[in-house]
Amino acid sequence: MSPKLRPALLALAALAILPGFWRVACALPGFGSPVSPYGQAVNALLPEMRRVSNMVSAINFDVRGFDTIGEEFMLLAAVAGTVLLLRGGRGEDRADAGGRIGGRAIVPRADAVVLICRICGPFTFIFGVYVALHAMATPGGGFQGGVVIASSLLLIYLGEGYGRWRQLVREPVLDAVEGAGALLFVAAGLLPVFLGLRFLTNVLPFGTAKDMLSGGLMIVENAGVTLAVAGGFGTVLLEFMEETRATTSEVADPDDGRTGDRA
Amino acid sequence: MTLLDVLVPFPVVLPLAVGAIVLALGERLPKHAPEALGIAAALAVAGLSAVLSRGALDAGTPVYWFGGWEPRPGVTLGIAFAPDPASAGIAAFIGLLFAAALVFAWGFFDEVRSTFNVLMLLFLAAMQGFCLTRDLFNLFVWFEVMSVAAYALTGFSLKRASLAGALNFTVVNSLGSMLMLAGIGLVYARAGALDFEAVREAVGRAGHDPVIVGGFCLVSVALLTKAAILPFQFWLADAHAVAPSPVSVIFSGSMVPIGLFGFAKIAVQVFPGSPDAGSILHGLLFGVGCATAVVGGLLAWSQRHLKRLLAFSTIGHIGIMLTGVAALSPVGLAGALAYLVGHGLVKGTLFMLVGVLLAEKAGVDELNLRGLGRDIWPAGVLTGLAALLLGGAPLGLLHGGADLVSAAAPDGLAGWAMHLSVLVGTALTGGAVLRFAGRVYLGLGPDPGDEAEAPTDEEQEKADRPLWLMLAPCILLLGIDVLVPADLAEHMAARVLPQFAHLAAGSVAVPPPTGWTAVEPWLALLGAVAVAGVALFRDRVPRILPAAGGMFKPVVAGLNRLHTGVINDYVVWMALGVAMFAAWATF
Amino acid sequence: MSVLPWVVAAWLFGVGVYGIATSRNYIHLIGCLSVCQSATYVLLLGIGYDWGAGPPIFYDHPPGTPAVDPIVQALVLTDIVVGATVSALLLAMALQVHKREGTLDPQEIKPLKGQ
Repeated sequence: MSPKLRPALLALAALAILPGFWRVACALPGFGSPVSPYGQAVNALLPEMRRVSNMVSAINFDVRGFDTIGEEFMLLAAVAGTVLLLRGGRGEDRADAGGRIGGRAIVPRADAVVLICRICGPFTFIFGVYVALHAMATPGGGFQGGVVIASSLLLIYLGEGYGRWRQLVREPVLDAVEGAGALLFVAAGLLPVFLGLRFLTNVLPFGTAKDMLSGGLMIVENAGVTLAVAGGFGTVLLEFMEETRATTSEVADPDDGRTGDRA
Repeated sequence: MTLLDVLVPFPVVLPLAVGAIVLALGERLPKHAPEALGIAAALAVAGLSAVLSRGALDAGTPVYWFGGWEPRPGVTLGIAFAPDPASAGIAAFIGLLFAAALVFAWGFFDEVRSTFNVLMLLFLAAMQGFCLTRDLFNLFVWFEVMSVAAYALTGFSLKRASLAGALNFTVVNSLGSMLMLAGIGLVYARAGALDFEAVREAVGRAGHDPVIVGGFCLVSVALLTKAAILPFQFWLADAHAVAPSPVSVIFSGSMVPIGLFGFAKIAVQVFPGSPDAGSILHGLLFGVGCATAVVGGLLAWSQRHLKRLLAFSTIGHIGIMLTGVAALSPVGLAGALAYLVGHGLVKGTLFMLVGVLLAEKAGVDELNLRGLGRDIWPAGVLTGLAALLLGGAPLGLLHGGADLVSAAAPDGLAGWAMHLSVLVGTALTGGAVLRFAGRVYLGLGPDPGDEAEAPTDEEQEKADRPLWLMLAPCILLLGIDVLVPADLAEHMAARVLPQFAHLAAGSVAVPPPTGWTAVEPWLALLGAVAVAGVALFRDRVPRILPAAGGMFKPVVAGLNRLHTGVINDYVVWMALGVAMFAAWATF
Repeated sequence: MSVLPWVVAAWLFGVGVYGIATSRNYIHLIGCLSVCQSATYVLLLGIGYDWGAGPPIFYDHPPGTPAVDPIVQALVLTDIVVGATVSALLLAMALQVHKREGTLDPQEIKPLKGQ
């Protein structure tokens, strides 16, 4: 297909879709006046039934908790897939030190950067844990918290450099955290099965609304999601960062790899 | 809660749990433990789903509400699984196919063993969830888990062709999933529910409603993209030809067909009350199915790269299944389901047999391999048998399905168009595989001379696996297809389908066999043998035959040229496909 | 004005598809795919929006105050995970292709040719 034909055919397709789209747009319930009984039923019933104040978390972990199991394992599959696709290619001759691009000036890391990263890193980590822990009461949850935790790991790289980062962030640990988180979610689902109830039935005491520990079984599921997401995103970051490693020959360089050319 | 109810979530939960354990323990497990765990889990899943299918047949479809969220008056809150006999039966077949593929792959993935097994287990769990669920969004979630695992597995070998194939596959199918989510959003905007039952009621109330039709079109496009129906089929050959053989087995044997299964399911379980959706299915998709069958057959016939050949033949067979679904008769639907299982068994076997060639002979080019397969003749015997089954031999489950699809043909011109395209598709794909069996294992056909230069990269697969271990799963799968009597499909149709399509028990009547149904398989088989014979004995048949075959050459060359392998083109084709739906629905 | 959100969603999807169809660089193409994904967020959140209603989190205001549809918000959360996972995989593939072929142009990175 020639480069000119593609936009022409796309325009043709758009012309054919336009009337249909317009009919659908005009027939949709007007913006701002939804008609769904489903969402309103959740808003009306769940605060009373489960003593949680965040309805989105209540849906993700209780009413439609089974979707979230799928979502967790989708992430697991993507992480396993990224590991699979980024294997090899890097070669065995890689050192645990960051690579350099030849010809680019090496600017030493400023003290300010180191200081800010050392202050913000732990703070970001704790903030992630906070967001994850208060999933049932305020906006946030295991997914959001897990991503914040994983990105706090990146601040270690920024502040301490590649070598230290590699020493502190270990792949087997991340794998174990990720797998354990996913297993915890599955185990939370299986617990009620052993009690003769349906998978994922909320069997723990619900606590009081607006409390960090409200929601019963949802707390366990949320913890599982937090671990799985933090471990998973940590692994993805690690895998992509591995791509930046220097070769051993570069490090053996008398200039400590600073002038090493990369072909 | 009966024992059967307790089992419902386990076809999904079991492989997920095993996958998470393998991931968490990683390299600490003994050498072959991940593979053994994977095979055990797949067999257990097959058993569980078979038990569910059998139980549902006797006691009616159980409905399992996760978290105990039974529907309240006026509103359905939770997610349910509803393993009706047909869905659970397909799920059981998928478990079996995974077990066979994992046995075939024993030792294949030593270098990345735990990661590969984790992905396969998640792939399996996602397909089970996709088959058993009764919730639109949950269907999307499992569809997406399935896709993500498949994207990663396609690129496994990290060669140029496999990465390019994986990129095309990922981009096209991701666009499809986005359309599906948009479609689910539209349905939700009107129905205010995601549960199949609840949405079906709302669809019935809505009648002629653009929002519902829009939702149906968008969800259909996504599922038909996965099912590789024209003009959404471009990604398939690129991806299937480059994925590792054990993964191609799963792709062609189950992933692509259950895209169509998912489509059939939402068509009969969610949208039966929409007259516009019915018109799209019976009108537009009936024609598209016929076209897909013929185009898939022609493209398969024209390939010399064996995995590409099989990939295109899958497109042709899916087209045949779509005509069965679109015939809008319960018999056709039952035929498509039986055909799906029979096709999966035979096509899975064929991909394994090509995998044997890749491992033993380091090639998949038909002309290059001429006569080289003589020393692995057991594989040749199996390939020949599979080719005959694919070409319509009146034997076994695949034939049973084809028979029912044919019986569902509407009267008049449309019916004959369907018969003709099914016949052409069957004969061309069967003939193409028979030709390759004759050339590779018997050394038939003219000496290709300089033409033998392979147009492809070096593509050997891991070699030092025992031949018997690779052939055992092939014999098992082919054996099952042959030993299931064809009329079992008819018996099952009458019993299984009412629960799947919400029909009254006993309302599915298989029409009595006509003269045509007796003749059709033999005609197809004759066509397949003729197609292979003309290619292999070019010099010894009347000259008119190769000349007649040559007439199609320009058409086929044109079709092949459209498969440019450039993602930009594929996206344009996809947009035109969506436009086709929109135009049909609007005008 | 009540069709505006749907027009925005369709427009986002359309420009994303245009970008993919004309892209000569896979990183750009992956970005365009994310634009298409954003169209689904707009559509879903638009479907659940309610004039004058608050967030579906009953922390500052008591249960029973009007709130927007929480279902679509939960769906969008899953959708975001889908987007993140697919982008990670695509970027990994693009990286490997670039390492092997030295190019990211989709028209030069071709899979097997037919026949």
